[in-house]
Amino acid sequence: MVKKLITQDTRMFLTGNEVIAYAANAAQAEFMYGYPITPQNEIMHTWCKLLPKTEAGFLQTEDEISAGFSTIGGILAGKRAFTATAGPGNVIMQDAQSMAEMMRIPFVCAVMQRGGPSTATVIYAQQETRLTCFGGNGEGFRIVYSTAGHQDLYDYMIKSFNTAWKYRFPTFMLADGYQGKMREPVTLYDPASRGITMEPTPAALRAPGVIGVDREATHLRNTFNLEEELMERLDQYQVDYDAMSKEVEEYFEYKADDAEVLIIAHGIVARSAMTAVDELRAKGIKAGLFRPITIRPLAVEPLRNVVKRAKEILFTESANGQLAQMCLEKMYGLTTPYQTLFKMGVGVTGDDIVNKVESMVKKMASV
Amino acid sequence: MARTKIVLAGEGGQGVQSIAKILVEAGYEAGKEILYIPNFGVEQRGGVSVAFCQIADEKIGEPRFAKGDIIIALSDRAIQRCATYTSADSVVVYDSSVCATKPCVPCKDVIAVEANKIANEKLSARVFNIMILGVLLKATNVLKLDDIKNAMEIALGKKFDAKPELRELNYKALEMGMAMIDKVGV
Repeated sequence: MVKKLITQDTRMFLTGNEVIAYAANAAQAEFMYGYPITPQNEIMHTWCKLLPKTEAGFLQTEDEISAGFSTIGGILAGKRAFTATAGPGNVIMQDAQSMAEMMRIPFVCAVMQRGGPSTATVIYAQQETRLTCFGGNGEGFRIVYSTAGHQDLYDYMIKSFNTAWKYRFPTFMLADGYQGKMREPVTLYDPASRGITMEPTPAALRAPGVIGVDREATHLRNTFNLEEELMERLDQYQVDYDAMSKEVEEYFEYKADDAEVLIIAHGIVARSAMTAVDELRAKGIKAGLFRPITIRPLAVEPLRNVVKRAKEILFTESANGQLAQMCLEKMYGLTTPYQTLFKMGVGVTGDDIVNKVESMVKKMASV
Repeated sequence: MARTKIVLAGEGGQGVQSIAKILVEAGYEAGKEILYIPNFGVEQRGGVSVAFCQIADEKIGEPRFAKGDIIIALSDRAIQRCATYTSADSVVVYDSSVCATKPCVPCKDVIAVEANKIANEKLSARVFNIMILGVLLKATNVLKLDDIKNAMEIALGKKFDAKPELRELNYKALEMGMAMIDKVGV
């Protein structure tokens, strides 16, 4: 049993990477596997710095391929294990992540997005949105929470473990280099104080009891002989995924009820959008925000409802429309026009959004 | 809502992130809302290092802002890099004993300080960044000197205890930095 560091509400001034390490401990995570890559290194550093107090475990592997598979190994042994990565590391961890999808392993990973493609920048982006949702050679049977600041990092890191172990789909907390490196105040708490109980983490391999006498054999497959065998399995996964979706979908609306211009943004960009909404409202422009918190699965009904009510939509991202593509597919049949503000690998400021929405409103008025 | 947006930029190794950390720690301890993003490339030394700091009375939304209220540039490359963060309302401070060029950007005011030269001649090159922190403290006028001293204890207390003269040296640098700005809260 690991030792919990946070036993009462504690206000701290931390970087996001530090927050994630504290959150994993609060969730009673027992083991972290990882390989260094900026901007997520300090998750590992902090986790390791706390080890003498937490009595948890850590293994630095030879690369992200190994980190991903080692995490799976720890989980199969019944450990609440996790990993974290970013950028090219996220790319080469896809093999293990696909295996976790196929074998329904409660894999937990924090992704701190950096610029892409390839090495690009070590700073920030939202360019791993599609990769984190749909990477690997599969169908994206994954759950992805997109966070917007330090309180989110703490809340959703804890939640990711429970979601993964409850539904047995790999679960990701998608953040970015800004959130990892920036410092802002955050309240750390013991999950029990919020009525959160951690899901049990039974071992899949080497479970107690004699096979055939005390228990069935655990048969985790990632290889199939026949096409139909595979499809039968995946069809069932889809049924499970759809059933689970209604329970895990999360979204956040800000002044969206009467919004004429609706901004759709996720993660830290949604924070800039909130600043912009307030400024626009002060100028008499009815702007609002829809922020999907689970970007996979998306909260489709709420999204469609709010889009239907708006006169015009603005998608904004630090990527070239990776979230917009996912949303547009789910918005099929709706006729609300949309515009875009995409800055590939660069932060979107409140001013950027204000200027764009003002130009949209001007055009709407002149039509 | 009172929100001060600060851009602090210099060469990697000049101590830009170190003083940004002290500044935001001081703000946090003084009960302000804070958001600080360090921004740099893959180099261990060299390259432009930028700190985006926000100090506010209410909760801060956007992590990255478009235009700063105060921009401090400590090298020629930093001046170039920061041109995009200035507006007609910005005040730009630069170190004329380091930079060969004067910032030529749309802004309210340009202030030259000679912190590097004065630190070298009168104190020590090592407290150049603390002198800049003094400049920043007076120019922004949202935090008190005691807040900064308190945060310096948190960051450097152990070193100060081992060598008490370092505390005096750093305090002196802070005061000399503050003296370089004529008007409080430019």
